[in-house]
Amino acid sequence: MAVVEQSPPVVAHRPAPTGPRKGWRKYWHLYAAISPFYLIFLAFGLFPVGFSLYLSFHRWDGLGSMEWAGLSQYQYLLGDSDFWASIGNTVIIWALATFPMILLAMVTAVMLNSAVRFKSVYRIAYFLPSVTSVVAVAIVFGSIFSTNSGVVNAVLHGLGIDQVAWLNTPWGIKVTIAALMTWQWTGYNAIIFLAGLQTVPGELYEAARMDGAGPVQTFFKITLPLLRPTLLFVLVVSTVTGLQSFSEPQVLLQTSSNDSTFAGGPGHSGQTMVLYFFQQTFDNNDFGYGAAVAWGIFLVVVLFSIINWRLVQRRGD
Amino acid sequence: MRLSRRGLLRAGLAGSAATALGGLASGCAVPTGSTGRDMVLWYWSGGLSDTVVKNAKARYGGSVDLRPIQIGGQYRSKLITTITGQAHVPDIAGLKGEDMAAYLPNADQFIDLRTLGAEKYRSQYLPWKWDQGVADDGTMVGFPIDCGPVAHFYQYDVFRKAGLPYEPDDVSEGLGTWEAFFAAGEQLGRRVPGAKLLTDVNGVFENVVQQGAQRYVDKDRHFIGDQEHVRRAWALAVEAKKRGLVSDLVSGTPDQLSAIQDGKLPSQLNASWASFDIKNGVPKTKGRWRVAQMPVRPANNGGSFLSITKACREPEKAFEIITWILDAANQAQGYVDAGLFPSTPASYGLKQMREPDPFFGGQVTTDVFGPAAQKIVVAYNSPFDVALGTPIKDEIKNVGVLGKDPKKAWSDAMSKCRRIAKHLGVSY
Repeated sequence: MAVVEQSPPVVAHRPAPTGPRKGWRKYWHLYAAISPFYLIFLAFGLFPVGFSLYLSFHRWDGLGSMEWAGLSQYQYLLGDSDFWASIGNTVIIWALATFPMILLAMVTAVMLNSAVRFKSVYRIAYFLPSVTSVVAVAIVFGSIFSTNSGVVNAVLHGLGIDQVAWLNTPWGIKVTIAALMTWQWTGYNAIIFLAGLQTVPGELYEAARMDGAGPVQTFFKITLPLLRPTLLFVLVVSTVTGLQSFSEPQVLLQTSSNDSTFAGGPGHSGQTMVLYFFQQTFDNNDFGYGAAVAWGIFLVVVLFSIINWRLVQRRGD
Repeated sequence: MRLSRRGLLRAGLAGSAATALGGLASGCAVPTGSTGRDMVLWYWSGGLSDTVVKNAKARYGGSVDLRPIQIGGQYRSKLITTITGQAHVPDIAGLKGEDMAAYLPNADQFIDLRTLGAEKYRSQYLPWKWDQGVADDGTMVGFPIDCGPVAHFYQYDVFRKAGLPYEPDDVSEGLGTWEAFFAAGEQLGRRVPGAKLLTDVNGVFENVVQQGAQRYVDKDRHFIGDQEHVRRAWALAVEAKKRGLVSDLVSGTPDQLSAIQDGKLPSQLNASWASFDIKNGVPKTKGRWRVAQMPVRPANNGGSFLSITKACREPEKAFEIITWILDAANQAQGYVDAGLFPSTPASYGLKQMREPDPFFGGQVTTDVFGPAAQKIVVAYNSPFDVALGTPIKDEIKNVGVLGKDPKKAWSDAMSKCRRIAKHLGVSY
């Protein structure tokens, strides 16, 4: 309330209202000005979040009356092997996608950073995948990775390697989803790395060159350490997107109209956490348990956020 | 009055705030259902014949404004949302067959069609289909739209080349048991290199279960997915796998479509509406297909209903519209427009349904689907069927696709079902 106390003496002759009330009256138009955000957040953000917590202590089919369930949904969640498997799938797919992607993005960024012709054309081309609809991409990848008619298997065949049933084996499914995510986000992250690269002062490279460092040495001794903040940013963002992966496996593994679209392929190998949440909620009409699964996912995300945060903290030391 | 910039800004903000508040206030008075002369009808693309809906709009235009709305995306979620939120609930709502188990326990959200005189239409509809729209307490929630009789689609030339029966009647008769069907599959594999009878084991498993009068959970909320009828379906699916009758392809993928086009997957057990999928998916196979009866007895897959919600202000009028949209003549039109196989046997004899279909080599497919539709028996549709059927279907898929040991797969499925049953309060 320091601001209120410093207000000009004009108001002094009025009967002094109590602090907070006066603050509200004085600043209401400011609150009103920012109200679209918090009103919308209240209605579409906070309320659903709170309601999902309330829901997770109930049994509800979405239409009838709710039934108090206490902690039983959470109890069931802890012993639910499918839920744990979906966490495993998510993390494996995330790892398979993120590490090659970071590597590729960095190489791409370094190449883009060196003087080439048509620089902007390359930059736009690399950025395009990230603004392409996931659904369209997944359909194309479904064709590329199909067993008999896919391009990938045709190349493997040309190299004398056996065909792989990409969308029909547990690892094949994970690799395909990861490949899709890698393809989609490499360019975007390359642009971010590029921005990071351009903040590295040119004198450092010059000095390194004078000291006789080769390109490889320069990269590891100068570029990489100075890119660390950018690297962390990219890691955090891909963790957030990776943990929420949903459309990629859903569209890629969607088969006949009779099948659940949230099953994640044979053996649930491509069933991510969010897919599992959808399956429980909308296939089984089990909204109470679905809410509990959502909170389980929330805890996993919190865990990963803490890990990320620790990494960032260490940077500050 | 001197108007300062700040004053103007304040006035503007106050105005917009008032508008927003007004909006909120009127938001509290959102009508439950439709208003005025409106009669809102919710359905999905292909859920009803657009021609029939248009005709209904014109026909009843004198008394109500029929407002048909095609709802895209997750239909059931959207309908449930309006009903639960008690806002803008449609007067007439289409209900998908696979969602009926979710609606029937909440029959109080709908108007009991018996109270509007539905009983006198009963004789015109397939009895099993009629019963599917009725809740446990006898409330009639859904009025029958279409049904999905399952039949045996096969490619004439490939069957002929394999030395199998190839005329529809001969196929129906010669492949009338699962044993004969499987033996034909073995012969097909021998005579036509690389050809498989079916795409996956689930085609066997789910169709055998669908043929029966029981599924996974019975009326008394008891798990019956471990009983003979499911074990038999399981055993047949495993047998199909062991005898090498199923491909390692996934249905709906480009691989499967190219195999179908090449005659490597010349046969499928599928519902009447699948003919549209085949026509769209592999248009080059035009003329090669025929339809015969599936082994043992027909099953049903899909088919939907129309309902009148509690929010409807003129149920009598709504009921009049529904019964007109779904009479035998209009259902025949629905078959022509949207591939909705009629639930009114009287439609099967109408001209629109007697047209030879060039895609099926000039066969009148109603000759197969019509009799099939009348021989279907259906199981009790429990709200817990999806949750307790999924683990079993998942595991048979693991056997078929991943080569998992059937014994281990079965015991895994059962232990999963036991946990889920306990969680859902289904006795095991």
